[in-house]
Amino acid sequence: MTDSISTTSPWRSRLLTAGLLLFVLAVVPAILSALGKSYYVQLANSALIFCILAASMNLITGTAGLLCLGHAAFYGIGAYTAALLASNYGLPFLVTLPLGGLAAGVAGVLVALPTMRLISIYFAVATLGVGEIIHVSLLNWVSLTRGPMGVQIYEPITIFGYRFSSLLSIYYIIAVLACISIYLLWRMTNSYFGNALRSVREDDQCAEAMGINVVKLKIQAFAASTFFAGLAGAVMAHSAGYISPDSFQFSESILILAMVVVGGLGSLPGGLLGALLLILLPEVARSLGDMRMVAVGVVMFLSILLLPKGLFGEVSAIDMARRQFNAAWIGGRQSVGWK
Amino acid sequence: MDTYFLMQVINGLSVGMVYALIAIGFTLIFGVLNVVNFAHGEMYTIGAFAGLVCINLLGWPLAFVILVALVVGGLAGIGLERLAFKPFRRFQDEASLKSRAMREATLLSSLAVSIIIKELIQHFFGAEMQTIPAQYLLNEPIQLGSISLSTGQFLILGSSIVMLGGLQYILYRTRIGLSIRAISNNPLGAKYVGLSVDKTIIATFAVGSMLGGAAGIMVGLYYGAIFPTMGFAPSIKAFVAMVMGGLSSIPGAVICALILGVCEALATDFMTQGWSDMVAYSFLILTLIFFPQGIFGARRERV
Repeated sequence: MTDSISTTSPWRSRLLTAGLLLFVLAVVPAILSALGKSYYVQLANSALIFCILAASMNLITGTAGLLCLGHAAFYGIGAYTAALLASNYGLPFLVTLPLGGLAAGVAGVLVALPTMRLISIYFAVATLGVGEIIHVSLLNWVSLTRGPMGVQIYEPITIFGYRFSSLLSIYYIIAVLACISIYLLWRMTNSYFGNALRSVREDDQCAEAMGINVVKLKIQAFAASTFFAGLAGAVMAHSAGYISPDSFQFSESILILAMVVVGGLGSLPGGLLGALLLILLPEVARSLGDMRMVAVGVVMFLSILLLPKGLFGEVSAIDMARRQFNAAWIGGRQSVGWK
Repeated sequence: MDTYFLMQVINGLSVGMVYALIAIGFTLIFGVLNVVNFAHGEMYTIGAFAGLVCINLLGWPLAFVILVALVVGGLAGIGLERLAFKPFRRFQDEASLKSRAMREATLLSSLAVSIIIKELIQHFFGAEMQTIPAQYLLNEPIQLGSISLSTGQFLILGSSIVMLGGLQYILYRTRIGLSIRAISNNPLGAKYVGLSVDKTIIATFAVGSMLGGAAGIMVGLYYGAIFPTMGFAPSIKAFVAMVMGGLSSIPGAVICALILGVCEALATDFMTQGWSDMVAYSFLILTLIFFPQGIFGARRERV
């Protein structure tokens, strides 16, 4: 395996990867939309948004080992911040997007400050409680969030005077944003920071003894993760044009968790694959009708039972990526495990 | 004392009793297995729907309806244990009993099973509210001096007290109760002296889920509405009561469930219905921050 890495030049396989990504993310949707199958483009939009969410959840639940059951709430904070700023003050997309992410990140830090000292199940319960508090607030703070009526954004996404109103152009914005955030999250999980988080997951007392400030590290990871969840929420609000509290309740948190679990806790490619699988699978099996969530539950249950490490466990995912994309993923290789 | 205030307190006590019945199931299962059973709220829903089927199709009298909900709840609990918990108890050594991986696996598998149950119920009965026929509803008013109460509150309070008494009898007077207490105290020690861990765990699930199922049908009869997602809010509140009570203390869970119920009933004075859910969640966060071991819990070893 190491021979194959050294024989090919890293640039060639990097180009190969980039070409492949460009083809899948840019050319295929263009063809689909030209063929008039705009429904699939819409599906791809939500799949990409859930990819960002799954990748961000993977950072805390997979890499840092903190089971978070309220992730949809931070997604909701991002979406509501962006939607309210856009509809009340008419702020442009380029301003509301980072503000949505920041609002979720700040909320994440505020939640993390008191709760990060909790361990295992207590943390999961605390995030569940926080998620419900945020959902109840979105639903009942009618003067701010318009309650169950939801918020509508009438203006299309505008960047430097160019109006992105067609479905395909919105898709490209989401794709670019997804690529950037997933790349940043990938770098984060495969840096010193990510390795420190892994050590916290494996044994936090040991990590503390080795000189890692566990609480500070967990707060940073939680802030980063909620920031990206908020970013996903902001782009979702702008692309859908309408949001309501229904999209940010406990079942959505579970859906994101199921994606990470099916894909394999701690493996980012696995999380992305899980997101694609759980968004696209119900659409492929249209005949299931309203059994969609049953399928999600069954897939999650079977994957816990039969594949405890998920589709790609942490190590096997990296091996797979290394084999398929060769040295393009070398950046991640050096910092994982003992090698 | 203000009569309205007194009525709210009694109302809160009957709601709190329902939380207590669910919280006991959580507490028993946590005590024995050391894992949280996230599908416990679905036992409550299953009990309610079993009662509904009895009423609508068979037209049985009230006492039988509650009995059926008890039995179906118990059976569902046994099925849940077989499906979601047994496969993850392959390894019996101390390291895997205490390992985090196993606990998270059962947590996630019970979550998955709870999604499946909820959505299947939704598929077969529909997502909308099911109404209970009027002659079964438990909201006939009873005047006690200046206070007006309803029959449902009496039934919930009374039958909960009976069930709590029965639970105490099972736990402290029978052999199975002895083994439940032994295993929740020290699983390996109990195993070494010859107790059957599997049988005890099944019994625990049966007892806990029976209480949950009975709570479901009683609430259904009192409020007159049964729907597939009805288990979520009460089970979260029962869970809050369990965390406040210290995770493995049954009296603590019951007391905290009653406190929670009364606080919620009194909170409706100051805020609208939607916001009163906030009381339980804020209690949860405050408890976790200031009393991570629970208000009534003994210190547990760090796991």
